[in-house]
Amino acid sequence: MVKQKTALILGISGGLAQITAKVLRRENPELRIIGVDNRPISKLPELSGVVYKKLRYSRNDFERLFRSYKFDYVFHLGRMTHAKSNPRASLAQRLDLNVMGTNRILELSLEHNIKKLIMLSTWHVYGAFPDNSIFINENSLLRASIQNADLRDVVEMDQLSTNFMWKNQAEIETVVFRPCSIIGPTIQNSMTKYLTNNFAPVGIDYDPMMQFIHEYDMAKVLSRALKSIPTGIYNVAPDDFISIQDAKKFITPKALPFSIIALEGIAKIINQTSWSVPSYLIDYLKYPCLLSNKELQKHLPKNFMRYSVQDSLELMRLP
Amino acid sequence: MNFTNLINKFSLPESEINHVYDRLSERYTKNPDPWGLKVENTRKSLKIAGGLYRNYFNTRVFGKENVGEENYIVVSNHSGQIPFDGMILSCAFLLEFENPRILRTMVERFVTTIPFFSSFVSESGGVLGDRSNCLELLKRKESVLVFPEGAKGIAKGTKDFYKLQNFTRGFYKLALKQNTKILPVSVIGAEEFYPLVHNFKSIAKLLKIPAFPITPFFPFAGIAGALPLPSPVDVHIGEPIEVNKDLITNYSDDDIDLEVEKVKNSIKSLLNEGLKKRRPFWANKITESLKESELNG
Repeated sequence: MVKQKTALILGISGGLAQITAKVLRRENPELRIIGVDNRPISKLPELSGVVYKKLRYSRNDFERLFRSYKFDYVFHLGRMTHAKSNPRASLAQRLDLNVMGTNRILELSLEHNIKKLIMLSTWHVYGAFPDNSIFINENSLLRASIQNADLRDVVEMDQLSTNFMWKNQAEIETVVFRPCSIIGPTIQNSMTKYLTNNFAPVGIDYDPMMQFIHEYDMAKVLSRALKSIPTGIYNVAPDDFISIQDAKKFITPKALPFSIIALEGIAKIINQTSWSVPSYLIDYLKYPCLLSNKELQKHLPKNFMRYSVQDSLELMRLP
Repeated sequence: MNFTNLINKFSLPESEINHVYDRLSERYTKNPDPWGLKVENTRKSLKIAGGLYRNYFNTRVFGKENVGEENYIVVSNHSGQIPFDGMILSCAFLLEFENPRILRTMVERFVTTIPFFSSFVSESGGVLGDRSNCLELLKRKESVLVFPEGAKGIAKGTKDFYKLQNFTRGFYKLALKQNTKILPVSVIGAEEFYPLVHNFKSIAKLLKIPAFPITPFFPFAGIAGALPLPSPVDVHIGEPIEVNKDLITNYSDDDIDLEVEKVKNSIKSLLNEGLKKRRPFWANKITESLKESELNG
């Protein structure tokens, strides 16, 4: 009898992880999914074939989990973000969860003979700089933390994963995704908060081009990684672009125009009000950080992405 | 005459702007490209820039017959303390040809950091001067404008006006890689926009700009003194230069230097010929006397 394949999804309370679980189940009906999060799981919708578990990301808890379920695949989507909706998101906590937590997951994946590990990193690792080329490919330096120490955790998490990938490629397949800004109705990251908040101003002095991927398309890419994307690092971005001012004006037409330079100066005061301004976000509102998607395109069928940038923004605007 | 009337007098007529825009719309998509080019912004920028080009700098273009429909790496001398020459060349390729094109000007890093101006530049077609940007644009069959003298070209002393500085090799390597023809161009008249008394390099360094020129009019005449002098400009376009195909697969720096020198010589000839044909300008006397005093130490 063939053993049923089991996948572990870390960070299952997140919007992207929820959609990914659904897509994975739809495309692999035989797949059993264990969804884990240290946030409350009681309000998550019931999904056929998906079991939720609330766990602290400590070594002992994880070890028990890996031993009991003998996972075949691990999706690490459980990064603590900088969004202020998470009151625990201090740098020290993020370093612990994102870096130490990732390290635990990598070690356990190797120890427990996981077949494939799929890691979700972020476009932020490259950093937004005035001298960024258009487009940035996967071999580019990860410069984010040079400019902003707040992004140390995401850079370290990425480097940890990619070092692991090269070192252990004979034993375990590892795919590291660096997606552009993921947006969608269920996504609560600093960019979606900026775009949807009427109090967050639209810049007047800088207007870099941006890439946005819809949450559903990102979930499809993650799901495809299970069988069709080999070991490697992949930027994930659609083919089209929009300027940040146009995107912001489209979603919140009533947002006041304001200088990003001035915003940089008063970000500390604004942080106490209705819109939190992570200091690193200012750089991404000033300078471009566009990703080359050529590597990933080699492994995707034509017209794989369902939503254009315009479609994604329109869906964000829906009440 | 009020300020609006003055602006209107210097602006290009709407009909001409609309004609250029209609032709551009056939060539470019309405959506911005990854570098931020917004074709519809040509209407706004051309109104003022085109007005300066035609009515303030009285620009003439020679050698239009050398420009075909293919894309080029347009290589020009660089001059004028503030890079108005880039704007003039961009206007020339928009206004002087039946099939206008937006030259993708390679700009210095400091330009991309300037609030407001950086957005204006990228919406008008400017791109950070970087190898991969240039390569990607050439792959998309865009024409790019490069100044291989770099910042040294614009921040020259008066005695070095119209003397070409060292050319970098990058543009030729990119032309080789994409087998793109090089279009040599010279700009005459831009050196005289700001007759230079002194370049405060320390202030320029502090402000992260290539030059901080003190001219006979700036800063002493206030904001008006910061305007370029209305020196008449001539653009001379040479015959396109094919890359040396023997070097496509393998080359040394010495091989590239020889080819770059050929391009430089071609621009030098255009400069020499152009200087003979230039129109008289009252402020050239100031430039000449500054040149003499610089040469006499």
